[in-house]
Amino acid sequence: MTFTISAPPHKKENITFKKIMWAKVLALMPAVLLSVYLFGLPAIGLVAASIFAAIATEAAIQKAFGQKITIADGHAVLIGLMVAMIIPPEVPLWIPMIGTVFAVGIGKHAFGGIGSYVFNPVLAAWLFLSLAWGSIMAPASYPQTSALFELVLENGAGVMAGVSPFFILLAGAVLIFRRYIEWRIPVAFFVTTVLLAFLLGDSLSYVVLGVVVFGVLFIATDTSTSPTTKNGRVIYGIVCGVLVVVYGHFANYVDGTFYGLFLANCVASLIDNNTLPASYGTETFLQCKYRSIVSKIPFKDRLEVFLDD
Amino acid sequence: MTNVYVMEKIPEKIIIPLKQHDGCLCTPLVSKGDMVAMGQKIGECECYDSASVHSSVCGEVISIEETANPNGSKVNSIIIQPAEAVECVDLTPVKDVSASKLVDVIKDAGIVEHYGTPTHKVLRPEGKQIDTVLINATSSEWIGGHYDTSAQYASQMIDALKLLMKAAGASKGAVVLRNDDLESINAFDHLRVDGKLLTVAPLMGKRKLSYYFKNMGSDIIVVSQERIYGQKILDLLTYNLTGRRVSFCCDPTDVGVAICGVKSAKALYDAVHEGRPYIETVVSVSGKVNSPKKILVKIGTPFKDVIDACGGYMGDTGKLIANGAVTGVAQYTDDVPVTKMTTSITVLSADEVIRDVSIDCTHCARCVDVCPVNLIPSRITAFADQGRFDECRQMNILNCVECGRCSAVCPSKIHLLQLIRYAKNSIENAYEDLSSKESPANLKLGCGCSGGK
Ligand code: SF4
Ligand code: SF4
Repeated sequence: MTFTISAPPHKKENITFKKIMWAKVLALMPAVLLSVYLFGLPAIGLVAASIFAAIATEAAIQKAFGQKITIADGHAVLIGLMVAMIIPPEVPLWIPMIGTVFAVGIGKHAFGGIGSYVFNPVLAAWLFLSLAWGSIMAPASYPQTSALFELVLENGAGVMAGVSPFFILLAGAVLIFRRYIEWRIPVAFFVTTVLLAFLLGDSLSYVVLGVVVFGVLFIATDTSTSPTTKNGRVIYGIVCGVLVVVYGHFANYVDGTFYGLFLANCVASLIDNNTLPASYGTETFLQCKYRSIVSKIPFKDRLEVFLDD
Repeated sequence: MTNVYVMEKIPEKIIIPLKQHDGCLCTPLVSKGDMVAMGQKIGECECYDSASVHSSVCGEVISIEETANPNGSKVNSIIIQPAEAVECVDLTPVKDVSASKLVDVIKDAGIVEHYGTPTHKVLRPEGKQIDTVLINATSSEWIGGHYDTSAQYASQMIDALKLLMKAAGASKGAVVLRNDDLESINAFDHLRVDGKLLTVAPLMGKRKLSYYFKNMGSDIIVVSQERIYGQKILDLLTYNLTGRRVSFCCDPTDVGVAICGVKSAKALYDAVHEGRPYIETVVSVSGKVNSPKKILVKIGTPFKDVIDACGGYMGDTGKLIANGAVTGVAQYTDDVPVTKMTTSITVLSADEVIRDVSIDCTHCARCVDVCPVNLIPSRITAFADQGRFDECRQMNILNCVECGRCSAVCPSKIHLLQLIRYAKNSIENAYEDLSSKESPANLKLGCGCSGGK
């Protein structure tokens, strides 16, 4: 009888990076199909060109540097798809291609590949394209959710990500439920945004947009560019919310989402480093104060039942 | 009540390792060719941190040699071929003995905690005073012996707890159950201890045992809490229950807490009431065997025979794991004996064996979300991988209970637990000769624990 020996743990969850990536691609499909309905066939061309360019770039870079080719893990496909979804569908096809080449080549691989990049490649590509070809990249219209129906199909949407807040939200909810994406960031973000927009007097119809929902569920939760600590992720969600509202309030919430998240990326690791959890059993500042006050109370024997030790 | 089967068939040979604990090796008292009786002491402990070993069968010593041990190494062992006749040494119950005599009884009976420390050393550590004794019944393999009813289990545990407290000279004692283990909770509820009715109190919020001792006006209580599992849970358990922090290089006895298992409590009960040394133990056999069960076996029975008693292997066997399906030690042969530290045997089929290739960490924070002691495993392992152990220590790596949850959920299949253990070992090795470094310099770098104060 032969036995395999290996270090523990001997049982693991059946989850892989690849699975998560493809699940995200799948989750975005309803929105893509809806945009084909809304924008017509050019949308398909856009998505195809973008994904093709992403895969080709990834393969070329990994080949050139003698790395293992990892197209099958779906990350490049996801980047391609997401870049296509935040570009106006009327643009010439070379725009998304340049965008994804930039996203995969500079955004992802120049920073060291998955897990190492500082800025979300999709955001980086959007920023690059907007700065370089601002007039082409301006969407034909800026949306506003004026009727409840628009939550499902947003007629004024300028980009594919914006066609349906409802479907994006649903996709995100399923992913969160399956624990494929993080819940703290989106929740903190939504609470902050709605609260702030309300305080600033921005109508919610400008805030609950497909693009904003897409940005927070799919871009802000990108694992490499968000903090890992539990508190850090809540703070990050709040920071994202604040930045998006600040941009959105003075310009529009479509561009605001992307600029806001891009800036939030910059502070992610700062947040991470400052929210490292303490060891269990460490007293927080308030507990410390409480204890020192209580210990000064005379006849504290009687109070002792309320104290732990 | 979970049924415990008794293994009737006597195996062809019994392998009794001379070291079934963490500490020094026992000296064999027999030599090749001798006949031994059941319960006869065959290995004597010479230093304080070791426990005697006894023969669990009657038979002939056929050799004394190094054999494979379930902890992965090789240990000098006495191999006995059981004889037809069943001859047993006289078992004399030792009731009503003094506390110091009780410690000798424990030592002579060879009782060892399942985590490796001999029980007498836990109860009477040199130079430390124990004030609280805990019986930890939270693990899934809580059954430590063969009981007829669950009420019998409960009352024996309370009696054992009293004995443990007496031996340790401790004033307080508690049995800790698991929240979802309703069977034992019901068994302990409404039990009478010294005329007082016992109630099982769930541990709530930040309340510690001292609150419950006071609240119930009793020195013996039963509480229940969430399940904690892992290889190194003692420090966390101590903190959760008593609020005392165990510093680095220390163990719970440094803060006056003795943690015993159900098995050693049962063994002590038997030693006192029946005079029987620690020669049998219950192991739970699970996984790909034809009839998984909990089974009472003699210490020294090879795994092979235990599995045969459970109906043999089912299908293609991939892995044989001692002590816990998640964090146990994978065996390279089934010729290893059940020792005092064996609690369970798990068999995995060939297609359950994981062969994963790690990729880069994507900072998905799944490991952070599952860690029971609030660590950032992803960051710690990155440091461990680069050999930056000081940084690991600053990130509280020593709190890790080695539960393996982080490795289990990692989508990048990073070997988190392995790297964490590597760093922990390196840190511990670096401090191993701390006391000798301290003395010439007349410096005291030691821990902040103050012997229970
Ligand atoms: S679970 Fe794995 S990939 Fe995710 S943060 Fe932890 S180590 Fe990194
Ligand atoms: S670091 Fe991993 S093994 Fe250690 S306690 Fe946390 S989850 Fe368990």
